[in-house]
Amino acid sequence: MNLLEIKNLTKQYGAETLALSDVNFSVKEGEFISVIGPSGAGKSTLLRCINRMIDATSGEVIFDGVNVYDLDKKELRKLRTKIGMIFQHYNLVNRLTVIENVLHGRLGYKSTLAGILGRYSEEEKRQAFEIIEILGLSHQVYKRCDQLSGGQKQRVGIARALIQNPKMLLCDEPIASLDPNVSKVIMDHLKNISTKLGITCLVNLHQVDVAMNYSDRIIGINNGKVVYNGPPNLTPEQIYMIYGSEAGELIMDLGGKNAS
Amino acid sequence: MELNESLKSLWAEFQRQEQSAVSKKLKIRKANKASIVMNITLVSLALLTIYGFFTFDYKGVNILEAVIATITNLKPMFLEPRFNHFGLGKGLYQVVVTLGLTFLTTLIGGTIALFLGLLAAQNLSSKNVSNLIKGFVAFVRAVPTVLWVLIFAVAAGLGSVAAVIGMTFHTVGYLIKAYSESFEELDEGVIEALKASGANWWQIVFQAVIPSSVTYLLSWTFMRFEINYMNAVAMGAAAGAGGIGYELFMASGYYFDLREVGLITYFILAIAIMLEYISIKLKIKVL
Repeated sequence: MNLLEIKNLTKQYGAETLALSDVNFSVKEGEFISVIGPSGAGKSTLLRCINRMIDATSGEVIFDGVNVYDLDKKELRKLRTKIGMIFQHYNLVNRLTVIENVLHGRLGYKSTLAGILGRYSEEEKRQAFEIIEILGLSHQVYKRCDQLSGGQKQRVGIARALIQNPKMLLCDEPIASLDPNVSKVIMDHLKNISTKLGITCLVNLHQVDVAMNYSDRIIGINNGKVVYNGPPNLTPEQIYMIYGSEAGELIMDLGGKNAS
Repeated sequence: MELNESLKSLWAEFQRQEQSAVSKKLKIRKANKASIVMNITLVSLALLTIYGFFTFDYKGVNILEAVIATITNLKPMFLEPRFNHFGLGKGLYQVVVTLGLTFLTTLIGGTIALFLGLLAAQNLSSKNVSNLIKGFVAFVRAVPTVLWVLIFAVAAGLGSVAAVIGMTFHTVGYLIKAYSESFEELDEGVIEALKASGANWWQIVFQAVIPSSVTYLLSWTFMRFEINYMNAVAMGAAAGAGGIGYELFMASGYYFDLREVGLITYFILAIAIMLEYISIKLKIKVL
């Protein structure tokens, strides 16, 4: 069953700039999809058009049988609780503790007043501790987020998205500011979430090798258009096509797949 | 290889230039229009000041005599301070009145400014609302506190009510600007993250915006508290709002009692130092 369907999605900035032009693809439940493409190709815009952090100019996004662009403000807020989002710069409230940041993921389910006062139910708190434990942050629960390392911050970001009980995760370059070791930890967590919990993941990536290793499918975007949509074992020619022929030689480590 | 060669030629070019320009000094700052205008302004201000000193109308005052007289006046004021018309108890009571005026105006002003500051911050509000509030607030700030007190004295009569309203008014103007700029410092991504998880505006404000900017808010509020303390002293004298400022006014303008003026000045200073100490302690605790 298709969880997400994107039809003729177009986003125009100003009169000239087309960030996305006529994007079409669909995502099955539980799939792990990487979106790759050069900087400025429209990857981030695409992700944000799905949960309407950016409003597309035209086109349809059908998530879980509902057209996202038909929803009013209240319904949209409800829909966003079903879509978790993970960011390159983590976007945590640095002055608050890990557990407080994780519980922020529940705000969408709460009344305004309960959210303002930060009153969470015992069940929600128990769940938060459980997720923190799974992500290996139990020693950091009461630490303030500005005391954490990048990898730990990103795990808090993942925990905040997971406690929403989402059907899909949108990850905007989750490992772009992390070193290779930590990147592997984060990607393994995301992959686990996808396979074990059945949560669909749509991940923007800059690392082609990572995308090929982890994804069920790769979508290549260049200049606002989908130029590749298929299995993750890309050939060098296909990579050149996605990144544009003018790029010349690319720095690539295809993990021995295409060695020899 | 290619890189190496181009570097080499660049180096050679550089050395040739250096030889040809031994006599020419290197500049690290480029003269532009702004810096020229700035220099001209500074020089002409300096010249005007010097010219001013030569053309003052001294009205036959002997400068040396005047300076000596002032120093002899300062001696009883600051070296022999003494109560003459009221005692320590009344003095303390009057200081508390002044502090009450300060506290009240800062509290009311801060509360109003917190909410209007949220609406004035461009990342939390629409551009039009933000500009409207900021424009209005700029006008409020342009008029000095004393003038606001006198304006409200028309309706409320000269006294503490006019002083509270007038000082609150100016406090609101000051703090809205300070608060909204603190809110605008906040990383846009944090707001985006909470919005993406379905949180609404009030929840984002109380869960992300205020916790992130609480140190800024606190230091601006203390800053304003100190300003309001000075204002409260002045209002006691100028607008009859009571407090230690009124005693100061009586001692200087009515009794011509230099010793009491000195004592009151020390009183005010001691309280100001105490406030500063408390604010520093509090800031360390919150940080």
